[in-house]
Amino acid sequence: MKPPRFQYFAPRTVDEACSLLASQGDGAKILAGGQSLIPLLNFRLAHPEALIDINRITGLDYIRDADGGLAIGALTRQHTVERSELVRTRVPILAEACRFIGHVPIRHRGTIGGNLAHADPASELPAVMVALEAQLGLSSTKGSRALPADRFFVAPLTTSLQTGEMLTEIRLPALPTRTGGAFVEMARRAGDFALVGVAALITLDGSGRCQRARLALCGVGPTPIRASAAEEALVGQAPSGAALDEAAIRAAAATSPPSDIHGSAAFRTKLARHFTRQAIALAAQRAGGR
Amino acid sequence: MATTERQWIGKDIPRLEDPKLLAGRATYTDDVKLPGMLHAAVLRSPHPHARIKRIDTSQARALPGVFAVVTGEDAKELTNPLPAFCAEPVVQYALAVDKVRFVGEAVAAVAAVDRYTAEDAAALIEVEYEPLPVLTDPFEAMKPEAPKLHDPLPSNLAFEKTLSFGDVAGDFATADHVIRRKLRWHRASAQPLETAGALCRFDPLSQKMDVWSNTNMINFVGWLIAGTLKVPASKLNLYPMYVGGSFGSKHVLGKVIGIAAMLAKRSGRPVKFMEDRVDNLLASENLACDRYYDAELAVTKDGIFKSIRVRVVDDYGAYFQFGHGTHGNALAQVTGPYGMGSFEYTVQCVLTNKCQQGVFRGAGSDAANFCLERLVDAAAQTLGIDPIEIRRRNFIRPDRFPFKTPCGNIYDSGNYPAVLDKALDMAGYAELRRMQAEARRQGRYVGIGLATAQQRSVYGPTEFWFWYDAPGLTSVPESVGLSLGPTGEFIVTMFSPFWGNSPETVVAQTVAEEFGINPSQVTVTYEDSQHGLPGAGPGGSRMTVMLTGAVVGASRKLKDKLARIAAHQFEAAPEDITFADGRATVRGVPDKSLSYGDLGLKAYWFKLDLPQGMESGLEARHTYDHPYLTKPSADRKDLGAFYPMMGHGAHIPVVEVEPATGQVRFLRYIAVHDVGTIVNPKSLRGQITGGITQGVGMALYEQSAYDAQGQPLTGSFMDYLLPTALEVPAFEVGHVETPSPFTEYGVKGGGEGGRMIAPAAIASAVEDALAPLGIRVDEVPLTPERIVSLVEAARAS
Amino acid sequence: MPRTVTIGLNVNGIRHELNVEPRWLLVDVIREVLGLTGTHIGCEHGVCGTCTVLLNGETARSCLTLAVSVDGAEIFTVEGLNRGGELHPLQEAFREAQGLQCGFCTPGMLMLAHELLRENPKPSEQEIRESIAANLCRCTGYQGIVEAVSLAAERAATATTGTRS
Repeated sequence: MKPPRFQYFAPRTVDEACSLLASQGDGAKILAGGQSLIPLLNFRLAHPEALIDINRITGLDYIRDADGGLAIGALTRQHTVERSELVRTRVPILAEACRFIGHVPIRHRGTIGGNLAHADPASELPAVMVALEAQLGLSSTKGSRALPADRFFVAPLTTSLQTGEMLTEIRLPALPTRTGGAFVEMARRAGDFALVGVAALITLDGSGRCQRARLALCGVGPTPIRASAAEEALVGQAPSGAALDEAAIRAAAATSPPSDIHGSAAFRTKLARHFTRQAIALAAQRAGGR
Repeated sequence: MATTERQWIGKDIPRLEDPKLLAGRATYTDDVKLPGMLHAAVLRSPHPHARIKRIDTSQARALPGVFAVVTGEDAKELTNPLPAFCAEPVVQYALAVDKVRFVGEAVAAVAAVDRYTAEDAAALIEVEYEPLPVLTDPFEAMKPEAPKLHDPLPSNLAFEKTLSFGDVAGDFATADHVIRRKLRWHRASAQPLETAGALCRFDPLSQKMDVWSNTNMINFVGWLIAGTLKVPASKLNLYPMYVGGSFGSKHVLGKVIGIAAMLAKRSGRPVKFMEDRVDNLLASENLACDRYYDAELAVTKDGIFKSIRVRVVDDYGAYFQFGHGTHGNALAQVTGPYGMGSFEYTVQCVLTNKCQQGVFRGAGSDAANFCLERLVDAAAQTLGIDPIEIRRRNFIRPDRFPFKTPCGNIYDSGNYPAVLDKALDMAGYAELRRMQAEARRQGRYVGIGLATAQQRSVYGPTEFWFWYDAPGLTSVPESVGLSLGPTGEFIVTMFSPFWGNSPETVVAQTVAEEFGINPSQVTVTYEDSQHGLPGAGPGGSRMTVMLTGAVVGASRKLKDKLARIAAHQFEAAPEDITFADGRATVRGVPDKSLSYGDLGLKAYWFKLDLPQGMESGLEARHTYDHPYLTKPSADRKDLGAFYPMMGHGAHIPVVEVEPATGQVRFLRYIAVHDVGTIVNPKSLRGQITGGITQGVGMALYEQSAYDAQGQPLTGSFMDYLLPTALEVPAFEVGHVETPSPFTEYGVKGGGEGGRMIAPAAIASAVEDALAPLGIRVDEVPLTPERIVSLVEAARAS
Repeated sequence: MPRTVTIGLNVNGIRHELNVEPRWLLVDVIREVLGLTGTHIGCEHGVCGTCTVLLNGETARSCLTLAVSVDGAEIFTVEGLNRGGELHPLQEAFREAQGLQCGFCTPGMLMLAHELLRENPKPSEQEIRESIAANLCRCTGYQGIVEAVSLAAERAATATTGTRS
């Protein structure tokens, strides 16, 4: 299984990359870490006319403070994100989710931006971005724009990126105090794609009731599913008992999972309910611990 | 049980194979490069059943870098059908001829300057198909009116037979209970990490075909492959390669060799075809049995097993390469370690539009063990007898060996109670049940499984043909060459390839034992098939027995010559010469002694010191035939001994099941194996842990699946799931050694036992875990969804 | 656009200048162009890890890497581990613990173990399993490999301290 032929470009700046994207049009694909793209090339499921290798671009690999939150360059390797002290202290759910992405050798090469732009419905990071209400910075020759995560993922393997645009930065807002996050997942084997994954962020008030909830699921729809109705079931309640049950039921109801050899849609729906409970409970426990 | 003090057999020595494997310097098939070599890629059918109307290869041929393109038309001209171990007229070529019968079947092949270009060219080949009706359900496919996959056959029911032994009707009539279970054993795939491949170089002037391939049986079926390639058998030379695992999937490899050979003939250059992983998943020879069991066990009220009746439908896919051999395999031990007096076995082999079965470690006995042990567990439940106790009541007692099974196979030796006792002891069984009770009080679903099952070794070829009336092959030998050179160094020559077992180490330890030297003084080489002696190669857990037997035979011949040389020198009797500590010495007279170096030099350079009439040189070759093979009776009431080196094992997995998600986690896994005298303990343990891991795969993760339209659902490693280090626990492995009376050193084969026993044991453990819910496990693999379905069905009723 | 590009790769300490097609996978360049066949191909999906090398000091799947994309990189393969007739201590530990059978996955496993012990000199059994779970082995059931890595860690610790515990 060997890749088909393509034209190869290795721009050194974002501008150069965007110009190439614009001039090559829809026949171009960006090569970042390659951990998602190259299997598609090897299987000959993708036949890009041009490959725009952005690994030579400097200045897209960073994790910085941004108004108490974080700004992460799109080319930052997943392993770097996972190990970053800043990420672990400010947005630990992101580090936690990274550990479910394949295995370490994959995370050495895979980038946060590449993972998001690939938009696999079973991928962990898109769901985490939706739960975190991340802002995604997109650049083109015409300038930059920011898009909230929940408008970035459109369909399986499809994002709102327009021709000539590339993802350059991920901005994560600061999390309110007394917020706990949890990412839980079930896969057939360690490192496999999620059958279901749940990102939960629970903010508690002084009396242990849920003040704010953000829930997003992966693997159970064409894009990450933001379980807003489930979130509503939690706000103002202690995140346990009947409220927890209701949230789990509503989250499962919001899904439209695929069916494949690893699980039917019905099975994944059951898993969504089970793991939503687990994620919320774990996030709440961590919120209490702060 | 007598213990013999041995110097090397039974010791853990580092493997001779390892240094070059560790350094990345072993030559596997894809590592071979020849000048002018081309690379092949294959175009495969997207249809499960279709007539090939037209193939246009013109664009492919025109692509720069392409040297040859072949299709089924070339296959008909350049090759004969592939070797098949069946009597039915199921014809298969290396490339589909006239029609395709499964998705992934090879339709055309390209030889080009590199694999990239070959794949580019393959994509330019245009094929016009006329789809035909698709048959994926064996019960539909076997009907007389179903569309036929192969015109010469009367139907897709390629083979059907009932064999009956003892008084089955009487035993069932007089039983107090008949336990019945319907069971499903899905198709799995061997999936060694190295795919199958072949490099062929053809010289049209001499008709010589050189083949470098990871095929197993180079000195057994080489001449059949020559027939397929349309070259004289004496002109085919197969080079033994280092093989990256086989597990039964690389016995013949007619397809990859045929494709490479055709392209070599057409292009005039050496051509290498290495399957990529998709080729291997879709179209290789690595698929295992795909069985529907309807089986009954006749038991008394005291839990004594009187008889078993097995009805099995096996979905073979589109071709019948090994015939129903995996059922002959099952017959070796279908009554298990239990003393039943009769059994009946009805098999229906059905062809469908899927890739063909090959063989995969266990080769049919794995499924048979699953069937039997599920019946035993059901009997225990029905009668309210403890599962350990019911097995003890039925074990063949240690004083009854060699034991003859109802169909005539021999169990050479065994001590099943000792194996079970050891497993229970290692497990701390009583404490495990206490832990389980406590876990249940906490609402956790912990299960303790048990399987006590046979692991036959050293197959006899009669298992392929005793189902028919006419006789077939009866040879299944293994040979070695043994030489002692003028410097006293020993060289062993082997005639079958290495595929991850430890043949070099086994022969070195055996030579060391025989001659009283250190194994590190033994050099091991391999010989190609033109210089080869008969050898069926690894498979059926035979190599330890066959290699030790061949080495002992060659050693005897060599020692005979050495003894006569020494005796001549010292004017002693040859029978008074002993071999120890690197020397040949007259018994009781220490200074009448010659080192092997002395003897070697004498034999090569000092002819006049040798006894009258003795040839110069010191080399012995020995072909060791199956040590206990007997023919079936004409009426087939006695099938003869065909798999008599009978090992045994007891597995106790401890699992925790999460009913809400169907996930299974191992808390512990205890396995005790008895495979006779152990040659290299660590090497055996590795075979066991590796085999059990494949058994975990079979029980929980692996299924080679097709949808109802014949489209493969597991055509990549994302979907065909091999266990990683996190899916298996650290195994606690114990040994019992009950030597075989029929083999050298009393060894038996232990290569397959892990996979043959684990699925039954794990099914038992999951069933035990979910016992509070009243669940029955009748199917493997137990995927999370299947487990959740079982839980929900149980809760609903 | 020319069919090949020139890249430089430093492989096991030796610098090479190579002409490669942009689509050539790093594993194919290592095996076919450089003739270093110790790194193997198992799947080309990025699942089995048989092709694992160290890329700028970090484990990476060479079947998921385009050689052109890593122009200038330092590559370390199994051939870089041992010198002449001596096995590297890690290889010795694999030999003693029988952490291999067919040897096909072994070079990849050695790369993982090499990195693990560099990052975590005293890994627990669980940590070893998590590390080697990145790669598939079909022969050993992993137990021999886990024991080999443990043994290597123990030996390295003894060698560093110069004392036996």
